Amino acid sequence: MKKNKILIGILFSFLVVAAFLKNWKHEQDPKNSSGRSEVIFWHFWGGEDRDVVDDVARRFNASQTKYFVRPVAMPGNNLQAKLFLAVAGGDPPDIVNQDDPILADWGQRGVIQPLVDIAPAAEVTEIERWILDSARRLSTYQDKMYGLCNGLDIRALYYNKTVLEQHRLQPPRTISDLDEIANTLAPFQSTEKKQSYGYIPDSRRLWAWGYAFGGDFYDASSQRVVVDSPPIRGALQWMASYARRYGSDNLAAFRQGDQSLPGKTFPLLPLDDQEMSGRYSVIMDGQWRVRNLAAFTRNRQARGVATPEFGVCPLPIPETGSPRQNAGWVNGNFFVFPKGAKNSEGAWEFAKFWIGFTDPSQAAKTCSQGGWIPVSQTVTQDPQFQTYLDENPLFRTFIELSESPNQFPIPSVPGAAFFRRTIERAAFQAFDDPKANIDKILKDAEQQIQTHLNRNDNLRDGGRVDP
Amino acid sequence: MSQSTTNLKQSERGDRFSGLIFCSPWIVGFVFLFAWPFAASFYWSLCRFDLINPPEFVGLENYRRLTSELQSQKGFGLALTNTLYYSLISVSLSVITGVLLATLLSAKVKGQAIYRTLVFLPSVIPIVAASVLWIWLLDPESGMINYLLSWLGIPSQNWLNQSRSALSPAGFTEFSQWLQGGTLNLFGSKDALILMTMWGVGNFVVIYLAAISDIPGQLYEAAEIDGANVIKKFYHVTLPMLSPVIFFNLIMGLIRSVQTFASVYVLSEGTGEPGGSLMLISMQLFLSAFADFEMGYTSAMAWVLFVLLLAATTLLFRTSKHWVHYRTSS
Repeated sequence: MKKNKILIGILFSFLVVAAFLKNWKHEQDPKNSSGRSEVIFWHFWGGEDRDVVDDVARRFNASQTKYFVRPVAMPGNNLQAKLFLAVAGGDPPDIVNQDDPILADWGQRGVIQPLVDIAPAAEVTEIERWILDSARRLSTYQDKMYGLCNGLDIRALYYNKTVLEQHRLQPPRTISDLDEIANTLAPFQSTEKKQSYGYIPDSRRLWAWGYAFGGDFYDASSQRVVVDSPPIRGALQWMASYARRYGSDNLAAFRQGDQSLPGKTFPLLPLDDQEMSGRYSVIMDGQWRVRNLAAFTRNRQARGVATPEFGVCPLPIPETGSPRQNAGWVNGNFFVFPKGAKNSEGAWEFAKFWIGFTDPSQAAKTCSQGGWIPVSQTVTQDPQFQTYLDENPLFRTFIELSESPNQFPIPSVPGAAFFRRTIERAAFQAFDDPKANIDKILKDAEQQIQTHLNRNDNLRDGGRVDP
Repeated sequence: MSQSTTNLKQSERGDRFSGLIFCSPWIVGFVFLFAWPFAASFYWSLCRFDLINPPEFVGLENYRRLTSELQSQKGFGLALTNTLYYSLISVSLSVITGVLLATLLSAKVKGQAIYRTLVFLPSVIPIVAASVLWIWLLDPESGMINYLLSWLGIPSQNWLNQSRSALSPAGFTEFSQWLQGGTLNLFGSKDALILMTMWGVGNFVVIYLAAISDIPGQLYEAAEIDGANVIKKFYHVTLPMLSPVIFFNLIMGLIRSVQTFASVYVLSEGTGEPGGSLMLISMQLFLSAFADFEMGYTSAMAWVLFVLLLAATTLLFRTSKHWVHYRTSS
């Protein structure tokens, strides 16, 4: 009996040691697939987009003799926590795709490496020149590239051309034009509940309208938050005026109804075959909706149902002040390279391949497959992508906007997540309470954000924080 | 020392060793997954810590910040107020509804098992699925809740898109204006969350039902002989006999309400909005730790929460001797 126990104990210990050694050997030797060194790539894409990502990795792997990329899909919102724990545990991936404003936070904390630490300085400088302004802004913290933007998300106004023409309205070029559309299709005087609206602003879009009205949320030279400024105040006052005109409760209820549409349908689209207009006739959204419109049109045409015509235009601007043309809020996806990664060189090669720096036609293919906005004009000009634009003419406006110098992201500062939350909450307050004092709301928000940013800096310098 | 005593001691030592070996998974788990993080989080609450860089000692800075936010009703102050509102109302309503439902379900009527199953059914639905379902139910335009309210003559409410709360001074003003012919925008997202919590009251009901079935029948017989009607029997027999279970559910409900996270995360899409009204402490902890990377501040917040919960539980225990009646063998 006792002998049996000893034997079982030895066998069990042997198994544990063998499993450990096998795992340890695997960890120490990141080579596989014909001796090529493996690049671990974390991303969050799912559905159709995941197929595109897998195809990029497959094409890269086919082009390589040295590196082999293994994409790992990590859906969900907790990628940050997972990465932090992986870096803290000493086993981070080689390259990660992100789209939240985390570059400065991660850079300041040393979670990710500046590009000059993993690539030749000359090459980084060349890429910095090669990518668009908006892509560079998304990749930079304190004048240093900490990430590499691989796709842009641009917002513009989608409109139902058929409905506008029926009412002899033109696509909006100014804020007055937009107000006129809204008032014509759903009169301001009437506060009763409506089935559809011409246009209503979304409180989460103060970023976009703030930039279009000529505002800046942050002054990098003085390192001050400048939310309480005339252009941003003007933008929020204009946005909140809709809540006063239509009734904030009516708008809130209508907005929530958007979330309950089957399959989160694009609310510009008519829900019924007999209808030519959706819940809105003008709405702000990103380039990914071009795909929805194309699918909708194809579906209706295939069934012989009359289809409205749609258009896209840049954000209109106010007639007064110093507004910016073709302005807006840009965000997008970018690669970061975690500190402590085993194969940053391979990761860098993959990143260059993805954005088309090594071969623009490859990126043109990727962007055409996914309906993504390239980060460089070189890729946009590739014949393959031009064909895509010819097939999807609505996409051209987004490409033009991506090349505008007036597309800005959420400021790249440590504490950007707090910055974003606070601005969006301030805008919501202005919408929620028609009697709210917008000056005070913006002043409070500015003070809160500044205190938060100061706390980050002061504590880093060993200074005392003013609560 | 005799040979038999030595053998006995060896055998005791062997038993003790075996016992420890069998307990070791729990001991290891307790030390590494509970005791150490518990102690470490207190030290981190005195530091600036972002998980990556070594903790930097800042003394009571994080606690000073919490005090300041408590005064300004921003950050932690707002989260604590929201949590208090949610916990106090949801726990009280859960206890009242739970006891009443259990009393009704204990009645010997046809289809009793079906009614009990229906009440318990929502408790077995995963919280994420239930939250998504409630987003539909609370839709102001096509949701069933507003439809039911319309039967009572109550206008459509913007449940998940408003930061106001029904049981607040503004809510009372709104209600009094409605009675005088004004509009009624009473309920906000916290009230929606409370409503959703009430849906899962079946967990409590099961415990109350077990306790009710354990009440000796002779107590009711004695009460009947004394001329007690149904209400008096409920008040003088059922409630006192249920009081230990009510006390248990009160404590557990309080702890559970403070830990509510998944439903808030789904309802607010991980933001604690609208207008910060769903920023409960659990959400504030999550965002501070994993969006703002302030693990020191988050630890301080967790410790303050722990102390507050401890104080509330102690208070409940102190008051329990006045209203909790334990059955004694004598």
